[in-house]
Amino acid sequence: MADEMTGTGPQNVRPDVWDLLPGYALDALDDLDRRAVERLLESDADARRELDEYREVVAAFAIETEPPAALRASVLERVQSTPQLPAVSLPPAAPGLEPGPAVTSSGVSALGSGPTPDAGATPGLAAAPGEGTMPDAGNDVVDLASRRRSRRWGVAAVSVAAAAAIAVPTTIAVQVTAERDRLREQSQVVAEMLADPEGSILRRAIEGGGQASVLVADGDLFFRAEDLPDLDPDRAYQLWVVAPDGSVSSAGVLAEDDGDVSSLVRQADGIGIAVTVEPEGGSEQPTTDPIVVLTT
Amino acid sequence: MASPPVRTSSRDTVDALLTACAGGDPAAFAPVYDALGPVAYGASLGVLRDPDHAAEVTQEVMVEVWQTAARFDATRGSARTWVATLARRRAVDRVRSEQARRDRDQRDTDLRMGESVRDVVVEDVERNLEGSAVRRCIEGLTPTQREAVVVAYYGGLTYREVAEQLDAALPTVKSRIRDGLNRLRDCLGVRHG
Repeated sequence: MADEMTGTGPQNVRPDVWDLLPGYALDALDDLDRRAVERLLESDADARRELDEYREVVAAFAIETEPPAALRASVLERVQSTPQLPAVSLPPAAPGLEPGPAVTSSGVSALGSGPTPDAGATPGLAAAPGEGTMPDAGNDVVDLASRRRSRRWGVAAVSVAAAAAIAVPTTIAVQVTAERDRLREQSQVVAEMLADPEGSILRRAIEGGGQASVLVADGDLFFRAEDLPDLDPDRAYQLWVVAPDGSVSSAGVLAEDDGDVSSLVRQADGIGIAVTVEPEGGSEQPTTDPIVVLTT
Repeated sequence: MASPPVRTSSRDTVDALLTACAGGDPAAFAPVYDALGPVAYGASLGVLRDPDHAAEVTQEVMVEVWQTAARFDATRGSARTWVATLARRRAVDRVRSEQARRDRDQRDTDLRMGESVRDVVVEDVERNLEGSAVRRCIEGLTPTQREAVVVAYYGGLTYREVAEQLDAALPTVKSRIRDGLNRLRDCLGVRHG
């Protein structure tokens, strides 16, 4: 898309902004560049992940050095009289921001009821990170995990051994966080697609049962289907993007959740989608006739 | 250098100590200070080079760590990285505000300071990083990458200032730092997700 290069839209970011992430981690950017990076970080979980990596690199430069002994007492004394701040420094989340089902259902209802530009406009804004007082802590932390954490720990004074024991399930936390970020991003994109006056929504019954709809706006496609019939375990629904010339390219196998599927395909430049039933794992090219085709 | 035992504790242990002190018990902060105070002090000292200034920054940072412990997110990086990031940010802010003050007061002092920054940097890095993982990785950079990264890090400078100091074009400096950090990232094995 032409926009991708010029980067004028709210969702678009100048491509060179990614290159500024190392400078951001080094605190080496001027204000203009820093704000550009912060906008990127607001909308892009991959950029945040990359920044975290650069920060780890930068932190490796710190040569641990014992601070002056007197400092310990003075810090601990100040800590006694300094109240802690809660985990969340952001203003209360707007509806639709809550991770998980709320995000999905906002997508569903909006799709079902036609283009409602205002309905979707808030979630994206509400996700704005970087509002915190800290360089980092405010970022993307409407942090349910740490809220839960602080509740669980309460006032308990924990021994090192116990603390090490609870540190294990980090991988689960990582997965949950990644999924939450993904859903949040998706809801933001869909909200913007709905707000696009050029966007269109198509609906059609699926051969064999169920309803499919697709929202097409600015090169992006958001596909949803409900009440899909169960498939044999060795078969899967596969989504295809239909190009203006009629050719198709795979948009992946659809993960089904009780007959419902949804998929956001970004910058697909297609005029619509098609769904076929393929062997589990998907095919390079469709091997069966589509059960539904939705094209503008 | 003799290290107190807690310094050798695993990343998970230190992370968990920090997480645990988010419950509001000031007594739980003492082990956190012992584990992370040296990181805060080391990161500040690297940029400020003045022990008194670094001690002040360390005090501010460690109180901030206590205040905002609930916002630490272990899924985004270690407690060590978090504290080093906070400390470096504050140290850089201090260098910049000091520099701005000097800029206003006395242009020639500022000039002298700029030069001294550069001199100290090159020698210090070689010596101070002795034995650290990052030392070996820095040696894997090209000389120009190394210079740009080191000057940006230890000088607490912006890209623009690095370019001025190295007498190089701004885009050149940006790409040297980017490429340098990317190589360090690979060398240090820093990859999330």
